[in-house]
Amino acid sequence: MKFMHKSTNTSLARTGIFSLTGGLLLAVTLFSCSKSVNDPAAAVNIPSTIDANAGTWKTFVLASSSEITVAEPKAAGSTEYLAEIKKLKESIGGVTAGQRDLVNYWGAGAAYRWNEITRELAARYNSPPAPNAEGKYPVPDAANPLADPKFPFANPPYAARALAYLSVAQYDALVSAWNYKFKYNRKAPSKTDATVQALLPVSDLPSYPSEDAVVAAASVEILKAMFPGEVPFLEAKLAEHKNSRLWAGMNVESDITAGEALGKAVGQKIMARAKADGMGAANNQAKTQEMIANAAKIGITKTWLSQEFPSRPPMLPTYGFLQPWNFNAATVVVLRPKAPPLIDSPEFKENMDELLSIAKKQTREQARIANYWADGVGSYTPPGHWHRKAAMLCHENNFSEVRTARTFALLGTAVQDAGVCCWDAKYYYYYPRPNQMDHAVKTSVGLPNFPSYTSGHSMFSGAAAEVLSYIFPKEKEKLNAMAVEASVSRIYGLIHYRFDCEEGLATGHKVGAYAVQRAQTDGAQ
Amino acid sequence: MLKTIRKKLHHLALPCLITCISSAAFAQMPNDAIYMQKNTACLALSYNHSAWDKYWENKLKRDNLNIGTQTTQTAMAMLAVGVTKNLNVIVALPYIWTEASAGNLKWNKGFQDVSGWVKYRFLDKAGVSLNAVVGASLPVTNYVPDFMPMSIGLQCKTATGRLVARYKHSTGIYATVYGSYILRSKIKIDRDSYLMGETLYNTNEVSVPNAFDLSGRLGYTNKYLQTEVFAEHGACTGGDYIRRNQMPFPTNNMKSTAVGFYGKFQPKNLGFNIRVSRVIDGENVGQSMTYQAGVLYQFAYIKSGKK
Repeated sequence: MKFMHKSTNTSLARTGIFSLTGGLLLAVTLFSCSKSVNDPAAAVNIPSTIDANAGTWKTFVLASSSEITVAEPKAAGSTEYLAEIKKLKESIGGVTAGQRDLVNYWGAGAAYRWNEITRELAARYNSPPAPNAEGKYPVPDAANPLADPKFPFANPPYAARALAYLSVAQYDALVSAWNYKFKYNRKAPSKTDATVQALLPVSDLPSYPSEDAVVAAASVEILKAMFPGEVPFLEAKLAEHKNSRLWAGMNVESDITAGEALGKAVGQKIMARAKADGMGAANNQAKTQEMIANAAKIGITKTWLSQEFPSRPPMLPTYGFLQPWNFNAATVVVLRPKAPPLIDSPEFKENMDELLSIAKKQTREQARIANYWADGVGSYTPPGHWHRKAAMLCHENNFSEVRTARTFALLGTAVQDAGVCCWDAKYYYYYPRPNQMDHAVKTSVGLPNFPSYTSGHSMFSGAAAEVLSYIFPKEKEKLNAMAVEASVSRIYGLIHYRFDCEEGLATGHKVGAYAVQRAQTDGAQ
Repeated sequence: MLKTIRKKLHHLALPCLITCISSAAFAQMPNDAIYMQKNTACLALSYNHSAWDKYWENKLKRDNLNIGTQTTQTAMAMLAVGVTKNLNVIVALPYIWTEASAGNLKWNKGFQDVSGWVKYRFLDKAGVSLNAVVGASLPVTNYVPDFMPMSIGLQCKTATGRLVARYKHSTGIYATVYGSYILRSKIKIDRDSYLMGETLYNTNEVSVPNAFDLSGRLGYTNKYLQTEVFAEHGACTGGDYIRRNQMPFPTNNMKSTAVGFYGKFQPKNLGFNIRVSRVIDGENVGQSMTYQAGVLYQFAYIKSGKK
């Protein structure tokens, strides 16, 4: 586990220190020498409700919660079940300290952990290809994911989509699972047999099919497609997650097997949507000529040019044509922000002057905000930042597994919709970045390689704050303040004009409102 | 200080790294076996220019057209005080500014880390001297440590232990070797999430690896003059590497080997020094070429002091 890994680092550091002698000890006392960092492990989640009616909640892709069939389990008094219980007790009895740690790790929540794993993968794969000897940028190849450049380049639109599909698969699979849980009503092993000593808190939630196996299998089905170089890692995590429920005495084998089959089947249904959503055509560079011509026609007198050397083709120019989640393609056009200021108009100059002044005298606080929200290369991107926030809020509020997944699905779909709308606007207007217009605007965060208007951070954040404020109304003020800060961080970092950010944030909120509409009628109130 | 200095010096550059390492060169420095007399002090003001247009991304040597040439300049004040003839105290403070000749990365500038050193000669016999040096450094401004390679430093508090051994022949020819271990504190960054190796950490605390350095130097010195050639190697005791086509990070295991020349001419109270060094091999650092020039002024801070 990560936590243990860090502890190991600490002890190594200490060994190093103690081997030093003499005057150094004095110096050592001047500051803490521990190399362990404060990255606290999430505690076991104890849901405040079991959300017994979640089997009736509205699914995203599945027609209903009974679309995938789950067979009736063996009765509590059956020979097969009694044998499973016996085996389970042996399994609990043999649990090692390391396995106990894993039980607690996964006990923080299945969707919680798989979301976290996905953010880590997104960060690890968020690496723009290097130019080759001919000055060209090779395109990552899904068939050869671990070659250089690695596939995928998990940029913000990619991460938004991966997290959306992950969350929708988890949610639809869990709504299905809840349907069968209450249909068959098999009690938890420790409620059937009081001598089963479960290692985690047990609720009245029926245990068949296992919600953990459902989430794990659905997640792996999505992630194997999104991160094809990580199949062995994902399969190991899947096995670990399933085993943790047996070690904990929370599920018998047949709970797990049925859950895994259901999760996998739902994952495949969701991936069928993914294969047809337009992502395969999202990097259509041939389309940019037409886009540039259109932008010129509507009055953008100087269109965007890559500021990288060698010039890099713009990121996913046709991502704006992807199929959205919470509205249709026609609505993307309706939501498209109004035209940005004409280049060299007084409004443009005023915005540019603000940047020139920050470029000269950026304050440390402005730099801090720009850095905090940078979420650039090597990070989980702004969509990951908001998923992390959602994960923390669900955990703090002791949401059930299915309600956590619903939160991620509403957030994830809204954030990807924001990405689609933002990419639509970026390539419709093809507006230049500030430092293309004036090289005195040096940037204090990485400069994204695509047109300026509107700000992606602002749109992602507006949509995220809108959705999360609906689910966590007490947090509304804080969430909106976070979104505003994420938005202005791009001005402070010198990569966006203020109008990019303000228009992006407002549009993001509008995009998020569609997910809120869905939430109001999905049966989960 | 040396270390720090160098750090500064050198450091800056992607190279930055090596904060660890170092050598700087002054009237007397934390990495030599030369001492101020009791009751005398030396103030040194130096300018350092360090630049690279190639760097090692992990082990891959490459250029980067979005950086062009990265330049780090440092102005530093250093004071060395002779407490006794075998015990000197040295303090230094650098001001640093960075720039890149291409691309759009914003420069950084500011005062970096103040450092202090105590140097003690515990053996001096038949031309051989053994010296123990301890030092520490502390950031004096809240500069951004992880906007590499444009950051001016790493924000670490450091503590260094160093052993310096020198043999000096009656002709004035000498050889010096030293080795150091540098403890570096954790740091805090503005972000609360970052990768170290293949693990995503969800915290703003970053564990910066400790470091060591080794050096061998051969030179000649007399009453007015000192000249030497040197080789230096510095590395961290652990850490990760620059990810493919990404920027450096404070957790990187920065390694560098440099060779150079140092000369000092100080006929009376006023003197001058120059230093040139070139990184010849490294990992996760820039291949810096560094020039340094300084003015030294030596004086008695107590009347009875002699020069």
